[in-house]
Amino acid sequence: MNQWEVFVNDVKELAEDTDLELTIRTLNPGLHKFTYKRVKCQVSTNLKKHVDQLQVRLGRGQLSNNRFSIQVLDEVQRMPAKYL
Amino acid sequence: MAAPRSNREFIEACIKSGDAVRIKQEVDWENEAGAIVRRACELAAPAPFMERIKDYPGFSYFGAPLSTYRRMAISLGMDPAASLPEIGKEYLKRTNGEPVPPVLVDKKDAPCKENILKGADVDLCKLPVPLVHEGDGGRYVGTWHAVVTKHPVRGDVNWGMYRQMMFDSRTMSGAVFPFSDLGKALNDYYLPRGESCPFATAIGLSPLAAMAACAPSPIPEPDLVGMLAGEPARLVKCETNDLEVPADAEIILEGEICPDYKVEEGPFGEYTGYRTSPREFRVTFRVNCITFRNNATMTISNMGVPQDEGQLLRSFSLGLELEKLLKSQGIPVTGVYMHPRSTHHMMIVGVKPTYSGIAQQIAQLAFGSKLGPWFHMVMVVDDKTDIYNWDEVYHAFCTRCHPANGIHVYKNTTGTPLYPFATPHERKYSIGSKVLFDCLWPVDWDPVNDVPTLVSFKNVYPQAIQDKVLANWTAYGYPPVK
Ligand SMILES: Cc1cc2nc3c(=O)[nH]c(=O)nc-3n(C[C@H](O)[C@H](O)[C@H](O)COP(=O)(O)O)c2cc1C
Repeated sequence: MNQWEVFVNDVKELAEDTDLELTIRTLNPGLHKFTYKRVKCQVSTNLKKHVDQLQVRLGRGQLSNNRFSIQVLDEVQRMPAKYL
Repeated sequence: MAAPRSNREFIEACIKSGDAVRIKQEVDWENEAGAIVRRACELAAPAPFMERIKDYPGFSYFGAPLSTYRRMAISLGMDPAASLPEIGKEYLKRTNGEPVPPVLVDKKDAPCKENILKGADVDLCKLPVPLVHEGDGGRYVGTWHAVVTKHPVRGDVNWGMYRQMMFDSRTMSGAVFPFSDLGKALNDYYLPRGESCPFATAIGLSPLAAMAACAPSPIPEPDLVGMLAGEPARLVKCETNDLEVPADAEIILEGEICPDYKVEEGPFGEYTGYRTSPREFRVTFRVNCITFRNNATMTISNMGVPQDEGQLLRSFSLGLELEKLLKSQGIPVTGVYMHPRSTHHMMIVGVKPTYSGIAQQIAQLAFGSKLGPWFHMVMVVDDKTDIYNWDEVYHAFCTRCHPANGIHVYKNTTGTPLYPFATPHERKYSIGSKVLFDCLWPVDWDPVNDVPTLVSFKNVYPQAIQDKVLANWTAYGYPPVK
């Protein structure tokens, strides 16, 4: 199970059971904790629906009470190839 | 006492004078180190030198480097007990002299080259990048550092302290505002051409190099460091670009600023004491090489409520740079001061009110200068008011500033996204507004019949009576006044 976190201005941005593109950061312990990835994913308020878990922070860093489970479908590479 | 030439010499000097403590127990990079620095700032306590960091053997942290005037005095090689006006006078003396250009040293004489990571080895997570505050948008690599760039046409070098968040192992995102020197170079040259801008971030600088990087001075920062230190700064060539960086810095990140790609930055605890500026797509830095000293020390400034470097040092240099500007225009200012507790939002200017409109002239110069986006209040008091004494300034404000004639509001100026009072729209577009509090008696008032007399011990009694009362004070039965 992986732990992820996302920043949104409004929890409504996290529509359930539809493909979303989000910038999420890993909360897994270790040196890479808090590094980001851009991903295609689906989220659900049913915490059992997906294995990975997602917690949410709002605009100024406040932790939201809303919790989700998340399935990362794909990694999205936004960065132009010349920088990779 | 000589000015410390490196962060290491500075730590030693601070430990010796009791202005830093060695923390030997292991400290977590996630929140704990940040919390220690924050509490030290809020208590004006000695700076924490954290010698062991969880997950990062061989690295250390030094926090709150210049969050007290004592440490500022030490950084200038002065007596730690020097008063603020003395420190200010010294800063003005040194920075009004001739520029002292840096010297280039050989790689073998540059401690920052002791370890070099390139190619697939580059990973910012190999450095103990702290999570400074719970809820921040990321771990911040650059909180007390210099981002080094060079203007591609003019060739002038810029060192600026622009916060940098780690986005992933090789990418950082930073708050480089369009009115900053780097922001101007990007908008002027690199972005329109789609060219990437070489940069180097130097972390763990000598305190005077850090002071120069956040000083709003027109003097190129490497020369300014030399002027402040009284000897040339030692620079060394980067590994992967043409830039030169402080040879004694603890950590150097080299790379390019992407003109065509942005990632999210923030939110982050800020110098105003709030997390205000919205998470935004900001200037994006791609790291191609990391070099660092053995046993490197990462420096941390923790922004929040007063007082940290954001308020103390920036108030100091913004005030003194404004004083230089106003004097260069021949305005008879007696001094300029920002109380750090104003989070460098209020400039207090003392002036001899020799002609009408002088307060407006001061405000227009101040707000219209390069310093202007960083404060929104100018309060002008006369030359008899002690600008360092808030009780006197506040008294002048509450009694002399005419509510209809003395308060002047300027709308639609340059602002920053960091102003807590600004509307969300203003923050998004850096729209500011400013106010002048003119606390001068109008020059068209008859000084004898119209200007009120200040009723104070010092002002209304003859000198002979004052001397007598002072000489007899304890004889009257009062305890001595310290
Ligand atoms: C600890 C600290 C952090 C700062 N962070 C930023 C920042 O993120 N962005 C910014 O534009 N200025 C920041 N500043 C202020 C700049 O360092 C300052 O404006 C400096 O003069 C920048 O140089 P420039 O305006 O000549 O480019 C910071 C200052 C301090 C002391």
